[in-house]
This record gives sequence, C-alpha cells and structure tokens, in this order.
Amino acid sequence: MTRFVLGRLAWMAAILLGVSFVAFMLMRAIPGDFAIAAAGSQSVAPEVLATIRRDLGLDQPLMAQYLHWLGSALTGDFGRSFVTRQPVLGELLSRLAVTVQLTLLAAVIAAVMGVASGLAAARLRGAADWLVRLWNGLMLAVPNYVVATLIVLLFGLYFPEITVLGYTPFLESPLGNLASLLLPAFALALAVSVTIAENTRAAVLEVASQDFVMVARAKGLTPAAILRDYLMRNALTPVITAAGLKIAALLGGSILVETIFAIPGMGQYLFDSINNRDYPVIQAIVLVAAGIVVLVNTMIDIAYARVDARVQM
Amino acid sequence: MQDSVSVVAARKRAGITQGWLLLGLGLAMLAAMLVLTIFAPLLAPYSPSATSPDSLAPASAAHWLGTDSIGRDVLSRLIVGGRTTLLITVSAVLVALVAGLILGLAAGYLGGRIDDIIMRLLDVVFAFPVLLLAIAVVAALGPTVPNLILTIAIVYTPAMARVVRAPVLSVKQWDHVEAARSVGMSEMRLVLRHILPIVVSPILVATSLTLSQTIFTVTALSFLGLGPPPPDPNWGGMLSEARQFMELAPLTVVGPALAIVFATLTFIIIANGLREVLDVGSVR
Amino acid sequence: MTSPLLRVRDLTATVTTRREVIQAVRGISFDINADEAVGFVGESGCGKSVTAKALMRLAPEGASIGLGGSVAFWGQELLGLGEDEMRDLRGRRIAMVFQDPMTSLNPVMSIGAQMGDMLRRHLGLSGKEARERSIELLALVGIPDPARRIDDFPHQFSGGQRQRVLIAIAISCEPDLLIADEPTTALDVTVQAQILRLLMRLREERGMALMLITHDFGVVAGMVDRVNVMYRGEIVEAGPVDTVFAEPQHAYTRALLDAVPRLQGAGAAR
Repeated sequence: MTRFVLGRLAWMAAILLGVSFVAFMLMRAIPGDFAIAAAGSQSVAPEVLATIRRDLGLDQPLMAQYLHWLGSALTGDFGRSFVTRQPVLGELLSRLAVTVQLTLLAAVIAAVMGVASGLAAARLRGAADWLVRLWNGLMLAVPNYVVATLIVLLFGLYFPEITVLGYTPFLESPLGNLASLLLPAFALALAVSVTIAENTRAAVLEVASQDFVMVARAKGLTPAAILRDYLMRNALTPVITAAGLKIAALLGGSILVETIFAIPGMGQYLFDSINNRDYPVIQAIVLVAAGIVVLVNTMIDIAYARVDARVQM
Repeated sequence: MQDSVSVVAARKRAGITQGWLLLGLGLAMLAAMLVLTIFAPLLAPYSPSATSPDSLAPASAAHWLGTDSIGRDVLSRLIVGGRTTLLITVSAVLVALVAGLILGLAAGYLGGRIDDIIMRLLDVVFAFPVLLLAIAVVAALGPTVPNLILTIAIVYTPAMARVVRAPVLSVKQWDHVEAARSVGMSEMRLVLRHILPIVVSPILVATSLTLSQTIFTVTALSFLGLGPPPPDPNWGGMLSEARQFMELAPLTVVGPALAIVFATLTFIIIANGLREVLDVGSVR
Repeated sequence: MTSPLLRVRDLTATVTTRREVIQAVRGISFDINADEAVGFVGESGCGKSVTAKALMRLAPEGASIGLGGSVAFWGQELLGLGEDEMRDLRGRRIAMVFQDPMTSLNPVMSIGAQMGDMLRRHLGLSGKEARERSIELLALVGIPDPARRIDDFPHQFSGGQRQRVLIAIAISCEPDLLIADEPTTALDVTVQAQILRLLMRLREERGMALMLITHDFGVVAGMVDRVNVMYRGEIVEAGPVDTVFAEPQHAYTRALLDAVPRLQGAGAAR
C-alpha cells in the first residue's frame, strides 16, 4: 500500500512537471515577440524592449528560462500582470477562492441530484425509469453555458426583479453569497449530475442483483436498512470515484459559467486575460487549474485503492 | 437453466432492435444536418452578412427566427454558421482519430518501452481539463480555423489513443493472432487484417461520443471569443453576441442554443445506437 | 404432534421477469415437523430453490413472484400476511443459508456489523450486547479467535469460514426452521463435510427444524429424516430417506441416485 501511494505521488510529480512545461511552452509559442506583448504596445523604443527582455530573462536559453519560471512558480511567484503590473499571485488567490466555492457548491448539487435521480431510476421500474433516462439523455446534450445563458434569459424575461448576475462576497453576507452562487452552480452541475445519475443507476442495479442483498432480505432487515448499508455503501464507491474525476469538467465549465453570471472567479479572470493578452496570468491559471485537477485525481486514486483493497474478493 | 438462457437471449434481441432504432434516428438527424450544411448557401433565405434596418425583429414570415442586433437574418446565419462549426468539429475529430489510431496501435501493439513513452506523454496532455487546454492553445496560437482544428485534435488525441490501445492489448494475445504470427504473416498485415477489425467497434462509438463533446468545445471556444473571426457566423459566437439583447429578442439566443443541442444530441444518439448494435461495453 | 411446524398445501409459484413468466412450482404439498430434518432433492431449475424462497416470500431480484395455495407456519397462514409481519418473521422464525458464501456477505461491512444488524433488529439488543452475542456465535460455529476476527471484513475469510459465518448469522436469532439452499455446493469437498457436520450438530443442540436443499443425494443421505424429490416444479417422490434410497419408485429418482458416486452412496445407506 505504501509503495502504491509513493508510486502515485511520484507519478503525480512527473505529470505536474510535464504540465508546467506545456504551460510554459504555450506562452512562448505565441506569434510575435513576447517582449512586445509584455510592453503592451507595438510602438516601443528598442531600448525599452531590450530592458524588458533582460528583466524577463528572454535573452537566456529557453531551458534556463523554463527552470527559472518553474522555480519562481513553486515559491508562488507567477510574475506580474502585463495589464495591472501587479504580482499575479494575489489576484489569482482571491479569484481561486471564489471558483473553489462555486465548484464545491456545484459538486454538492450534482451529487445530490445525480444520486437521487439515479436511485429513483434504479428502484422504480418501467415508465419512471424510462423518463429519468430520457431526461438524462437530453440533459447530456445541453452544454452548461447554454443552460447558464437560458437561465439568465428566463429570469430576465419572467422575473426581472430578481438579480441573477453578480457575486456577493461571503464576508459581506453569507446568505447573499449562497444566493448569488446557487444558479451558476446549478447550471454547472446539471450535466455532471446526469453522469452521476447514470453511474448510480448502473451501480445500484448491479449491486441489487448480488447475493448479499438477498441474504439481507432473508435476514428480515427493513428496506431502509438494506438501502443504506447494503445497496448504497457498495454502489456509491465507484459512483463517487467517477464523480471525483468530474472535477476537471466542473473547473473547465466554471470558465464559461462565471463569465455568463459575472462572477469574479478564476474563469472570468482567464476570460479577461485572454482578451487583454495578459500572458503571465493565462500561464498561471493554466498551471494552477491543471495542478488542482492532477492533485484531486491522484487523491481519488489513492482513496479508491484503499477502499478497493477491502472490497477485493 | 434453459429458461434463464432464453431470457438472456430475448433481452439481447430487444437491445439490438432498440439499438437499431436509436441508430436510425441518429443517422436521420445527421443526414438532415448534412443536407443543411452542404447546401447552406442555397437553402439560406438571405446572405448571412446582409444587414437590414429591421433589427431585433421577432419571428415573421420574412424572418422565421427574427433578426439580430444589426438586422441580419438569424435563420440564415444559423444555417451558414453550422458549416463553420461542423467543419471544425468533424475535421478536428478526424485528425484526432488518425493520430489516436497511430499512437494507440503503436503503443498497444509494440508494447514495452514505446508503450510507456507514448502513454506517459499522452497522460500529461490528459491531465489538463479539456476546455482549459483548448483555451490556452488557441489563446497562444490565435483563433483561426486551422488553429482551432489543430487545437481540438490535440486535446482529444489522448482519449482516442486510449480507446484504441485497450482492445489492441487484449486482442493481440488471442489465438488467431498467435496463429497468424506462427505461419509467418508480416507484422503489418497482422495489424491490418486481424487486429484493426476487432478494435473498430469501440472506436466507432468513441468517435461518435467525441464528436458530441467536440461540438461543445468548439462552440464554447467561440462563445468565449476564441472562435473563427467575424463576420463569418458560427453557433457559439452567435449565442455569445446575442446575449446582450436577448431579453428583447429571445429567439436570437434560443436559435443557436437549439442548434447546438440538436447537433450534440445527434452524435450522442448515434453513439448509444452503435453501442447497442455493436454490443460494445461502456466506452470512456 | 397436533400441528406441524410447517404445513404446505398446493403451493404454486409463478416467477415473472421482464421478458418471461415461469411456472416454477406447480402445486406441491409437504409438512415439516418441529425438530425434523427434511431434504429436497432435484436438479437445478426443478423449483426447489424457488420453493425455499417462496416459504419466506422472497422474490428473486429483478423478478416478481406470484404464490398460490397455502403455507401454514405453526398454523398461521403466511401467504396472507402483511409485508411488515412477514419481515418480522424472516430471520427471526425462519432463517436461510444460501449457496455461495463468496458472494453472500456484504464486502464493505465487517462481520460483526453484518451479524449485529440482525440481532438488533429482531432481538432489540444494544450494540454491545449484539457484539458479545456475535462473538459467542462465531465461537459456536468454529471460527478461531472470534473476539479478534469479529471486526474483520469478508475478504479476510476463506470460503468455508464465510459459510460458517453465514450459518452463525442464520441461527443467531434462534429460528424454528433453518432453510439451507445448497449450502455446500460452492465449497471444497473436505470443507463440505465439515459444514454438513456443523449443520447437524447445531440442529441437534438447538432443536431446529432443517430444510436441506441439494441436487446431490449423497449430501442428504446421512443428514435428513425424510426426503422429497422434485422434478419440473412438482414433488415426484417423498418418503423416509432410507426407503427412497432402497426402493426408489420414480424413474427420475433412480437417475438421481445413479449419479451419486458409488462409495458415497454405500456409506450413506449404512
């Protein structure tokens, strides 16, 4: 077990190294001169450009630049924004906090909706099962940004008195904070909840046909106890694992949903940075987001292996 | 015992007819989309870039889906915009498919170190959230149609390679492959004659699913302003532009939204139909 | 003996799956007296397992079961009982041991938890009492060092040990009738004999009635008082085990007897 964990961690480190290299190279692959992009204008005196080059280390070999950038990034120094001239880290952290909030809320909503409807589809036979599956199939085809746009449209048309755009910080008003994130989180969660529902349905049906469920019924246990201890406990492990791997989808989706709902998270930050060609910020966001996904996936892998060792027959 | 066997057989038969129904429905939807796309200039009632003073008009006999903020016909833009969106989607998936086939076959068949190197490199790409990587690459390279195709191909290649590699790994141990090898069949012929056909089913299903996901990614990029440059219409861009005035002309948003959903749904239905018809387990 | 423990009359069972309706039990009648061991023998698919499940009113997963006739338990009709009352009876008065010990235990619950949930449900024991009782039961069925093993998970036990655990669970609420559905089929030959001896011993010690279901005449031979031979949902032959062995009346019974290996048959007939 220890060997497995160490192996996974080493593997994670290797992937992160690869990820950082990709993130670095992408921003060096931009057409044109990086120094001009940094200056933010075409008409810059050659001396100024030379200074910028020296400051950013652009006159060094590429590999040296990468190692320098990586070393700084590891200590939290992602350089300065081309636009605000402020260090990227501070802004990034405050944006990240908002995105994490949104993503976690979406994960909770997706899990509750997905498990509930999946369970319903598995336990109810016939028409109910069929309806849930039809709904799931349809929802799978509706991208989260379409859902978000349509939500904004519907509220604008029919409930214009309700503000759906914008964000209330937690410290200002905890309830207002939750209210401001609820609709975006729902839009983000919908597609993921469908996947969770399908997985739950399949897992519960699979577990229900196992002999130990028949044994539990023969023991005279109540349906509630069988559902909790025998069906759910066995079915939810693979479901939660699969759901955890959806964190990447949620993070990716938050870029779109934050932009639509005007929520000052990392996604909106990325969107703005792309429009402003603020490359250090793009680089930092790509690195941090991919890092989070790799980290979460590794943790799920390890947690699942622990459970699996127990389940292994 | 006999009873339960016949039950299983009956279930299988039912699954297959249901699969054919789904597949037929999906292919019909695809055919409709293709006709609209190929004959777009003939079918579109107006030029997609022709403006008129009649801006943000509601649905009417002249403009079935109304007009946008500078008076362009929404239906015409949808029909023509489908061309760009579908062109990028299909080309990108084809490139990813070819790259995934080459890498997956090489990794699965050659095995050993080559397998390790290929799969580890692909794992790095796989570690990025799809949309994030696409955004970063397009932001770096610039949003032109060839760049979009290349980007999306890169993003989906690792998943394709995995889908190809898994069956190859199991298939190559099979007896008839061993037999063919023992009678001295060349490696190349072995791969083409015996391995490729068996891995085709999961690949077909995966390709169809990837097409549906690619529609999402392509339109999402356009939605974020990283799509093909204006004034050529595309679905994601139309949705994004229309948001500003959507409460005045809801159809300008609903139109592209429905188009995106229809295209995604088409490929999902085809994938599910193929899965049942070809009897492929779940493909991820 | 006035009223037998179990009196079954004209029992029919129709199993309905999504695609098919199977008439699994076609009007069978039999009695099981208290403290008696009765064998049910027949090939797979003959309806013996459905009969066992029907007595507990359990439908196979993914199917529904339609029952007709009469099942009287201590004179009480079970087929008309409400589901709640039936649930109070399952495990408490009639318990069951299943065929495959490898798949009959919940892999994510400890042995103690799987024994305890039933003890708490039927006997109203506290968590601590249930634990102590479970340790005694594990000792009774021959699990070494039960106090330590009670927190182990199923995968830490061998097949034979798991079947012992399942037997411990089944007898934990001191049922009047224990139904054992092919309890040794999935086990190694040497372990089979141990499990059968354990069932015999427990039956004698506790005075339970035993309904032993098997496809193997060799298994019932030394174990039961009377035997019912089932074929295509009907009981084709019934009688004291020695009589059926010595003078099988039905051609099907003779075929089943011929399938028993010579040595085992000879030993059993002793």
